Amino acid sequence: MSVVSAQRRPSSGFRISKRVLPYVLSLPALLVCIGILIPFLTAAWYSLHRYRLSQPWGYKFIWFDNYLNFFTDPKFWNTLKISLTYAGVTVVLELVLGLAIALLLQKRSTVNNFISIMLLLPLMTAPALAALMWKLMTNPGFGILSYLASLIGLQDFRWASSPSTALLTVVLVDVWVYTPFIMILLLAGLRSLPTQPFEAAALDGVPRSFVFFRITLPMLMPYILTATLFRLLDSIQQFDIIYAMTQGGPGDTLTVFQVEAYLNFFQSTNVGRSAALMIILWAITYLLSNIFIKHWLRLRERARGHG
Amino acid sequence: MEHSSPIERVLRAVALTLVVLFFMFPIFWIVLMSFQTNETILRIPPSVVFEPTLSNYKALLSGRLETAAGTLELNFLRTLWNSIFLSVTSVAVSLLLGVPAAYAFARHKFRGSEDIAFTLLSFRFAPPLLVLLPLTIYFQQIGLANTYIGLIWVYQLICLPLILWIVRGYFEDISADIEYAYRIGGHSWFATFRKIALPLAGPGIAAAGLLAFIFAWNNFVFALVLASADKQPVTVGALAFVTASGIQYGQIAAAIVLSITPTLALALYAQRYLVEGLSLGAVKG
Amino acid sequence: MASLELQGIVKRYKGQAVLDDVSLTVGDGETVVLFGPSGSGKSVLLRLIAGVVDPDAGRILIGGEDVTEVDAEFRGVGMAFQNFALFPHMSAFDNIATPLEARKARPDAIRAGVESVARLLKIGHVLSHKPRALSNGQKQRTALARALAGEPPLLLLDDPLRNVDAKLRFEMRLELPRLLATRGATVVYVTQDYKEAMALGDRIAVMAQGGIRQLGTPEQIYLEPASIEIARLFGDPTINLLDVKPSRDARGIFVGLSNVQVRLDGASEQAVGRDCVIGLRPEALSFVGPDTAGAIPVTVEAETPLNEKVVTLVRTVRGREILVSRPAGTPGPAQSAAHLAVNAKSALLFDRATGSRIGSGRRREVAA
Repeated sequence: MSVVSAQRRPSSGFRISKRVLPYVLSLPALLVCIGILIPFLTAAWYSLHRYRLSQPWGYKFIWFDNYLNFFTDPKFWNTLKISLTYAGVTVVLELVLGLAIALLLQKRSTVNNFISIMLLLPLMTAPALAALMWKLMTNPGFGILSYLASLIGLQDFRWASSPSTALLTVVLVDVWVYTPFIMILLLAGLRSLPTQPFEAAALDGVPRSFVFFRITLPMLMPYILTATLFRLLDSIQQFDIIYAMTQGGPGDTLTVFQVEAYLNFFQSTNVGRSAALMIILWAITYLLSNIFIKHWLRLRERARGHG
Repeated sequence: MEHSSPIERVLRAVALTLVVLFFMFPIFWIVLMSFQTNETILRIPPSVVFEPTLSNYKALLSGRLETAAGTLELNFLRTLWNSIFLSVTSVAVSLLLGVPAAYAFARHKFRGSEDIAFTLLSFRFAPPLLVLLPLTIYFQQIGLANTYIGLIWVYQLICLPLILWIVRGYFEDISADIEYAYRIGGHSWFATFRKIALPLAGPGIAAAGLLAFIFAWNNFVFALVLASADKQPVTVGALAFVTASGIQYGQIAAAIVLSITPTLALALYAQRYLVEGLSLGAVKG
Repeated sequence: MASLELQGIVKRYKGQAVLDDVSLTVGDGETVVLFGPSGSGKSVLLRLIAGVVDPDAGRILIGGEDVTEVDAEFRGVGMAFQNFALFPHMSAFDNIATPLEARKARPDAIRAGVESVARLLKIGHVLSHKPRALSNGQKQRTALARALAGEPPLLLLDDPLRNVDAKLRFEMRLELPRLLATRGATVVYVTQDYKEAMALGDRIAVMAQGGIRQLGTPEQIYLEPASIEIARLFGDPTINLLDVKPSRDARGIFVGLSNVQVRLDGASEQAVGRDCVIGLRPEALSFVGPDTAGAIPVTVEAETPLNEKVVTLVRTVRGREILVSRPAGTPGPAQSAAHLAVNAKSALLFDRATGSRIGSGRRREVAA
């Protein structure tokens, strides 16, 4: 009798070769994504054209004029400035707040676990809907926050409808939604830290500020960096909260990249400029995500080295 | 940390109370609003004492909203249904496409696998409008504009990288020997995938699916750009609500409550998975 | 029939050769133990035979048939893993049943097959349990049962006793040979434990750095190790190794051990005048009276009884430590000043530079 019985081995045509199998498995997913890649290239192509939907006869290849025009375009500089400000302010606030909350909740207890679960709720709220909730709360007529502001002497505090406080308002919503994200990551990080260094420090009576800055923070760094980059990439592309809250207004106070591109496309129907804006945003995120991926690979390496 | 002073404990409690207040109050307040009529909402000072009413929800579910300007037909149930349909179908398609691919990336280190995996991940970070704006023009041309199929396809941009990345991590955690043992026992790769890899990665797949569902549900910009009224999900529909003039505030609040309830309920129901998925999605990849 | 033949197997990972031109023939019904330190490539070799890892070069023949390109599920082998690799979501019964299910056996045939192999391994009472609920010993028996259930003509066992406690390992070492004999299967067994290798192997292949360094019966490996390295791996307590330079006169070949000239009967002429290492098994040394010819004076430092034997640590006049073992219950040294005699026939001579054994022609023939 043969060990490798003939009847158990199917005809050779039926079998998928070991070498082809992984490609077969990942092909459908790849195809779907490649379908998405085409518009990406189109966008790059459009960005080199004068292209307005309302003036199709003006369609013309103009090299990098859309980009060069940005240099003398105050609206573009405003967009760049407001996008970076928004990303910077939200990420810093969320990081500080998220770290503080994670430290408060570090110890495992029923109350702490309950609170950390509750904090999931803002994160799971659609950002656009969160903006609407805050819009209702900051309504000058009946908004509870407008009322509270008036109680502390801020009469007629206009929140998102005033250019001076619009940024503050959307940042507040962003902080409300996304601080829990950073909190969750950092809490997971804090709870996974080895306990020995802390016990040793406590036994030796090392001051707690020293423990925090010299032990906790450095050990938590990988988590902090990951959370920061994740948030930075999202925040610089923020659209939902700002659009739902103010449509980029009042005036052009909050015309961050994606909002500006959206308005350019659908209101001014200026496809060329809109595409150029998006390509610039993409370049920024590509740069950031490359930093992230390099960093992530290093993290993984380190994790594997320990394992 | 064990020997905290009374002052410190009080400070901690105060800080935690403030945290809970800040993060819970908006949800609490909107829920309250949804049970109020315009009169009680407009009271100064605002109060939590009022006669609760279900009229806002009734109006929403019937689709006939009484406004100052008259009766308005606004089919909120339709947007709710759109959200459910789009999210469920998108996640299903994503799982169908993503799980085998995740398995391939986890188990077979084939040429270029790492590059492809990273490219797919980078979709998660690309500005959505970069793709969406040209896509509106294409969709017009190939007849996918304002269709469920077109939307579900675009939703893969949200769901697929997420599922791919999380599920891949779970597959990698399964010891290769366990799969070897099954194959040596006389089973094909497909049987091994079905009977060993899938059940063992089950919790991970569930977590990824859940997270993808929530992200799909919460998405705003894709549908805003690509869907017109009859295909809109709740995120876009609710915005239309706010901008439509004369709708009662309580009804807006009720619409928001109905729109966020599914994701919040899911989040509470499966919070452990969710936290794991979020952390894995970020730290592991 | 299920003989196994490996021809020039090469496996590289990231350019590094894990297996470098390995050839091995295992006869039908024979048990060959792959023995070696971790990283010597023995587990990879097992996976290559099973078909879950592909070789970069070389051929694998089972029962005379080339199966190099045949997928794992069609090779008809059984394998047990060091970490058990049980399916955590299936009961012990279902775990053991998987090879039978693969053949589309009828349910009652599956039940009968699982129960008979479970009876053999004494795990009939835990068949309904999930692996999580099994003790380590039961897990290990379940893993073995699963490997045996399909009655494979070729059985691959990857250090199956590694992760069980000492007592169980001892029991299984006694039980396994009988078990394997009843199946009549060809067995390739991987272990890092020399006692296991000696107890189970018809032949032992000693592996190091991706190659087979010596292949022979347990007796050959123990009595005629090919190198210092192998001599050191086998035997507990480990072999005593002392630097010597053999010389010869009319009466024979001599080595100087602690100022005493000891005659080595049967030592190879090739050793004369070379820098050598002499290997003396602890049991090749015995305590004798001071007036015996060639007796080496030593000081007794410590005595440790080890079950069936007693191990004595002694120190020579030159300060070198030597281990001596004798059967428990036999008389030891009377006082701390004692004398040792060497059983010259079992002394091993190695080249100090290369580490390989300098054997007589007769011995080399046997080893090869």
